[in-house]
Amino acid sequence: MKKIYLYIGLGALLGFSSCSEKDLLDTVPSTSISDANAFGSATRILGLVNGAYDAVKAASLYGGRYLLYCDVRGEEFINVTANSYTAYESWNNSYNSGSNDINNLWSQAYTAINDANIIIAGLATSTGVISDTLNAQYTAEARYIRALCYFSLVTVYATPYNADQGASKGLPLRLQAETNGDNNDLARSSVAEVYAQILADLDAAEANLPDSYSSDLLNTTRAHKSTAIALKTRVYLTMNNFAKVVEEAAKIVPQTTAPFSTTSYGVKHALQSDITTLFGTTYTTTESIFSMPMTSTDSYSGQSAIGYIYNANSEYYLNPSGILGNAQWGTNDKRRSLLRVASNLYYLKKYAKASPYVDYIPVIRYSEVLLNYAEAAAQTGDLTLAANLLKAVHARSDASYTFADADVATAAALVATIAVERRIELLGEGFRSGDLLRNLQTIPAKGSSSLQANAVEPSASNYIFPAPNNELTTNKLY
Amino acid sequence: MKKIVSALLLLSLCLGAAAQSRRISGKVTAKDNDSPIPGVSVKTTGKAIGVQTDAQGNFSIEVPEGVTSLEFTYIGYQKITLPISGQTVNAKLESTTSGLNEVVVVGYGTQTKKEFTGAAARISGTLVKDAPVQSFDQALSGRAAGVSIASPNGVLNNPPVIRIRGVNSISLSSYPLVVIDGIPVSTGNISTSTSVPNNPLSDIDPADIESIDVLKDAASTSIYGSRAAAGVLLITTKRGKEGKAKVVYDAWGSLTKAARLPKLLDATGYMKYKNEAVYNAKILGGNENNTSVAAELFFPDYNADGSLVNTNWYDYIYRTAYSQNHNISVSGGNKTTNYYLSANYSNQQGFVVDNEFKRKSLRFNVDHEVTKWLKFRAGGAYNTTFNQSQNTGSLPNSTFLLIGAARLATALAPNVSVYNADGSYNLSSTGTLGMGNNLVTNTLWNAKALFDLSSYTTENDRFQGNVGGTIKLPYHFELNTTYAMDRLRTENNTWLSSQLGSSGYSVGGSATNVSALRNNWDWASTLSFNNKYRKHHVTALFGYDVQKFETTTWGAYATVAADNFFTNYEGSYSTVAASGNGRSEKAFISYFSRVTYDFNNKYFLTANFRRDGNSALGVNSKFGNFGGVSAGWLVSEEGFYKRLNISHIVDNVKLRASWGRVGNGNVSNDYASQSLYSSSLYGSAATWYLSQAGNPDLAWETSKQTNLGLDLGLLNNRIQVEGTWFNNDVNGLILSAPQSASKGIPDNAILMNVGSMYNRGWELGLTASVIRKENFSWDASFNYTHIKNEVTALASGNSDIIGYTHTSSEASNVTRVGYSVGSLYGAKTDGVNPANGRRIFINKAGEKVQYSATVASGESNWTYLDGTTAAAISASDYYLLGNALPKWYGGLSNTFRYKNLDLGINITYAGGNYVMNGTKGTLRDQRFYNNYTDISKRWTTVGQVTDIPRLVYNDQISNGSSYPISANVEKGDFVRLQSLTLGYRVPSKVFGTSGITSARVYASGNNLLLLTGYTGTDPESSSNGNSNTTPGIEKNAVGQGRTFTVGINVGF
Repeated sequence: MKKIYLYIGLGALLGFSSCSEKDLLDTVPSTSISDANAFGSATRILGLVNGAYDAVKAASLYGGRYLLYCDVRGEEFINVTANSYTAYESWNNSYNSGSNDINNLWSQAYTAINDANIIIAGLATSTGVISDTLNAQYTAEARYIRALCYFSLVTVYATPYNADQGASKGLPLRLQAETNGDNNDLARSSVAEVYAQILADLDAAEANLPDSYSSDLLNTTRAHKSTAIALKTRVYLTMNNFAKVVEEAAKIVPQTTAPFSTTSYGVKHALQSDITTLFGTTYTTTESIFSMPMTSTDSYSGQSAIGYIYNANSEYYLNPSGILGNAQWGTNDKRRSLLRVASNLYYLKKYAKASPYVDYIPVIRYSEVLLNYAEAAAQTGDLTLAANLLKAVHARSDASYTFADADVATAAALVATIAVERRIELLGEGFRSGDLLRNLQTIPAKGSSSLQANAVEPSASNYIFPAPNNELTTNKLY
Repeated sequence: MKKIVSALLLLSLCLGAAAQSRRISGKVTAKDNDSPIPGVSVKTTGKAIGVQTDAQGNFSIEVPEGVTSLEFTYIGYQKITLPISGQTVNAKLESTTSGLNEVVVVGYGTQTKKEFTGAAARISGTLVKDAPVQSFDQALSGRAAGVSIASPNGVLNNPPVIRIRGVNSISLSSYPLVVIDGIPVSTGNISTSTSVPNNPLSDIDPADIESIDVLKDAASTSIYGSRAAAGVLLITTKRGKEGKAKVVYDAWGSLTKAARLPKLLDATGYMKYKNEAVYNAKILGGNENNTSVAAELFFPDYNADGSLVNTNWYDYIYRTAYSQNHNISVSGGNKTTNYYLSANYSNQQGFVVDNEFKRKSLRFNVDHEVTKWLKFRAGGAYNTTFNQSQNTGSLPNSTFLLIGAARLATALAPNVSVYNADGSYNLSSTGTLGMGNNLVTNTLWNAKALFDLSSYTTENDRFQGNVGGTIKLPYHFELNTTYAMDRLRTENNTWLSSQLGSSGYSVGGSATNVSALRNNWDWASTLSFNNKYRKHHVTALFGYDVQKFETTTWGAYATVAADNFFTNYEGSYSTVAASGNGRSEKAFISYFSRVTYDFNNKYFLTANFRRDGNSALGVNSKFGNFGGVSAGWLVSEEGFYKRLNISHIVDNVKLRASWGRVGNGNVSNDYASQSLYSSSLYGSAATWYLSQAGNPDLAWETSKQTNLGLDLGLLNNRIQVEGTWFNNDVNGLILSAPQSASKGIPDNAILMNVGSMYNRGWELGLTASVIRKENFSWDASFNYTHIKNEVTALASGNSDIIGYTHTSSEASNVTRVGYSVGSLYGAKTDGVNPANGRRIFINKAGEKVQYSATVASGESNWTYLDGTTAAAISASDYYLLGNALPKWYGGLSNTFRYKNLDLGINITYAGGNYVMNGTKGTLRDQRFYNNYTDISKRWTTVGQVTDIPRLVYNDQISNGSSYPISANVEKGDFVRLQSLTLGYRVPSKVFGTSGITSARVYASGNNLLLLTGYTGTDPESSSNGNSNTTPGIEKNAVGQGRTFTVGINVGF
């Protein structure tokens, strides 16, 4: 009898262990998938591609704040809050390696780059799940994303290409998927090498991207052939390689006189008759070559939304001595209706939707391509074409305006007039400081009675962003 | 019950008949409260004749001739021997705090203090039940050697920072494992909001706690294997005792006020110093004669009666808080069945406006002896707890939020009013505080409007229960099994009004509800053996424990309220999106055993072994083996010792030694080792993206701990000394190893086993009955811990781990090889240049550079002292500024009793560390922020020596607003009068036949006095809560309050 007790006891004790260890310990999450299954179906692979675009859409990148940083560095805006969480340090060019914006922007762009690299690597080995055509297309989209991110980084964190033809140190050029603890150390490639990679990616992307997608939304939010070409015009312009700008632009702007529109590819890119429809009404016209889509369930709010910073919270107004007061921007110019006035101060309302902040964020517009083309044409001696392109952009918003002859008579005058036009047309779309830097111009001083920002010479260390701590502390070869 | 007593009496009568004898009777009561103690063993000295006291504490014993004294013994009380004089012997027993026969609860069982060879401390439940706290852990400050407990801020129900023998991990929690009646429970902060904390330990009514046992060394904790690297708190709840039903009612009410608030400028001072800064900026910017740059920006506002508007924002943010707590319990039982039932109601206010905590709880515990070989026990507790708070900026990751109440209290402009003349809130067009006649834009909220227009709550609904049995088997075996369940539902609600003045105005108002269910079960079974063969005493334990945690969270975020009438999520909103969704599970499977052996009550040996499986670890390393051995030698039992003269003074000498290896796999992420892709949206398209880079080799951290101890009992054990040396080598530290950001890894980190460190030190515990007289006694207990932490290796070539406070621009701590974990970090400063009032920094080359926030165009903000341009100070110039972990800490408690009066004084102290007084940066912030009155010491004239630089409007660097500077680093040494309690025990004759058996009233004060050179609010503040890598930062947080309590304890 006693023995039976003992056996029962031991049996009961051991019996408990019959709960399968494997079942208990090999837990699998039900809300995310393991890396082994990421490329498991066509839907998931498409999801990965969209995921890489979504990384580009992050708040600190093309979700809006990258545009904000690049704009407020220039002279067009006056800051009122002195709040470093809404780009005050960008406004007065006082960033340091520890600044949030500096670290977040860097980290986010490289996240998108790694997402692209994961797709490129995964599709190189994955076979059979999707067709070869689709495989090549997705790879091309990934390379487009990688190129866009490297360009976005190299223009703010590295010495401008034109300063020394790219001889300066640029960025760590990450081209392979990183998913484990290896490879922290990677030396910077030169600026020229980074540009070479960007162009190689864009050329490859152009080759394999589709002419168009099935909807206006997809044509605006995912890259097609014209998207890669349009970005190349921006890249070459930044390198002062005007001949290549002309060559690329001509692919999607085949005409020499207005109206200009893309004819060779599926999406017929063209200027819309009313620029204001692009901001707030129809985000997916043929003028919007590439934009970040916003929906009520996928948008940013508060300090992550530039609509909040510019408009709802009125943290930046237009500098009266900036482009706002320029005579080229006539009072009847339609583009003035993208501003609002309060207490005699002008505020940008390109991103005017109140919460939820669902205004799309433009990355590439056809009018920019026309102005890129115009500048390159002027620089390469085709003044007529340059003037036609310039006037097309201007007349769309102010048909009554006529350019003075002096403004368009010479190549130099045209280039200067085009530069002014860029400031009007692309205000608040992230171009101003990039245009200053590529021309090696001083960032002008600006200020109000209470806040002042000094000028920044091209030789000054704060002419470009400092390298972020999150790279410096871990990458010994930086 | 009565039958047993009579049987015993009968027995003693029979024995008594054999010799000449007399009958002695009496009553045994507890010395501290005069309540009768049933079950006390009463024996004649030297003779094996004994009886037990009955339910009323009475006894009657037949005493043989020649016997002159009686011995009274009872577990938990000091044994006493009283001479027989007359027919009656009444005994008053004093409870033991560290007697040798005191029971120590160890994992899966108990040992006596004598047998115990590890390192542990026991804290009685009576020390926590009357404390004006939300959870028991908050009341343990200074109570035990080696245990450091600090309140990170003054918001109700914050998890305290608990460190048992230091920080034992870097990336994992250093919070000890908390085991309540056998089941490990969730700890930390389970709120999903950074405004209102929710410490799930507050679900336990402190009055239900019988004892808290703290296991400190590996030999004690290794029975918990991988879960116990940070020590273990074993909570035992009260159970019924044999005897008549006892009813106890405890209640207290308290009043709390903010303590040590900084003195701020009034409206006049504000305008004076701000305009001085504006003017200085104008001059320094080369704009002295430029009329477009203002010379003044701050101007007065006047009330309707013409008086100057002078707002004290403290009046709108802090308050006198009132709290009350009631507890009633009924317990009792007979020989076979015991029960304990209790109910608690607590309603507490915090001293920050809107901060509330409420708890209602019920608990029952029952034990029943079914047969001689089968025992059954069960228990259950149900409670609801409710927490509400505005954002105070005090919780981790909220330091720099514009809505943080602590910063609003100090920074808001005093020269503008709270309300407009028409009674509406004074607001700007964007909803921030209206700046009246000041010509600056304000980014901070009107605290009154903000508080009125938002609410943050988190509420728990929880059942904890356990059921178990013990079967006595032949051959001294016993089988024990317990199943426990813990089901905790939390609802986190946030509402921000759509009205102007609310932080939700820009999104049209918002409401977020997130519901979380934590389902936790545990089944533990043990087979134990316990027997004595002559002088050999062997116990053995084999067990199996499986525990599973399942957590599900889901919720929604709604914006754009249809009407500002709506104050909750259930109202009408135009946009609703999912929020806070998550689902995870984690399991532990463990096999363990413990064998103890002692010989002749002199030599003691214990060995533990545990094999643990943890689902969160990598596929290649889910299991780990842990264990420890310990030995004790009761020297004073040796014949040679007894012959020494010293044995008359030092009557108890015990040597202890232990070595053990425990693990730590308490990764907070249940799937930490896996590489995962998550899904989201790109506009309206579904996405997948790499959300976590995993590590299939992720394994346990292992701690090898050595513990050497000496216990002494002096002067008949009136003085007890416990000294312990310990060394804990932690290897394979799980680190969120920083990855180069250019790799694009999510969060720039991967969990890896890299790095090692040690904690080394010694503890001293002293307990003394200094005076023990009939009417007066003084008991004192003192503890001291000295500890040294040093990191000895880190990831990838020992590169530093930078710790951030809230945002990546606030790199506030560094974990560096050769220094303690989370040392303070920041820019090194060297005072203020007397020549020009500029802050002097030391760059990485050791050169002095000075900063001016405003310079004329073409000049540099950063210059060497000779005026030549210098590079700006950046994070690469940062220095390690001092250790943030206290090197020594402890407590001193004294209890005085005079007749019916008792006085308790509990003092805590700590030091040897530095604290970053980041709030000082805010108090000197040169934006539109208000400043403290010390700003008057700013630099104004050439040659002036001061530590406050020249005021320059919008200067965010010179005083440490933009990033931490060494000028704000201060020593953290302090002595705190933690509590002072004066009690009065009402004489029992007062109660007559009312049925009341005892009553005590008391008044106490908490945090009455803080002696420290630290100039911030509180040297124990921690803006980063329990974080290991970012300790010692006080930035924009509310300090601790000062509380006065009156209470009553009544027994029936």
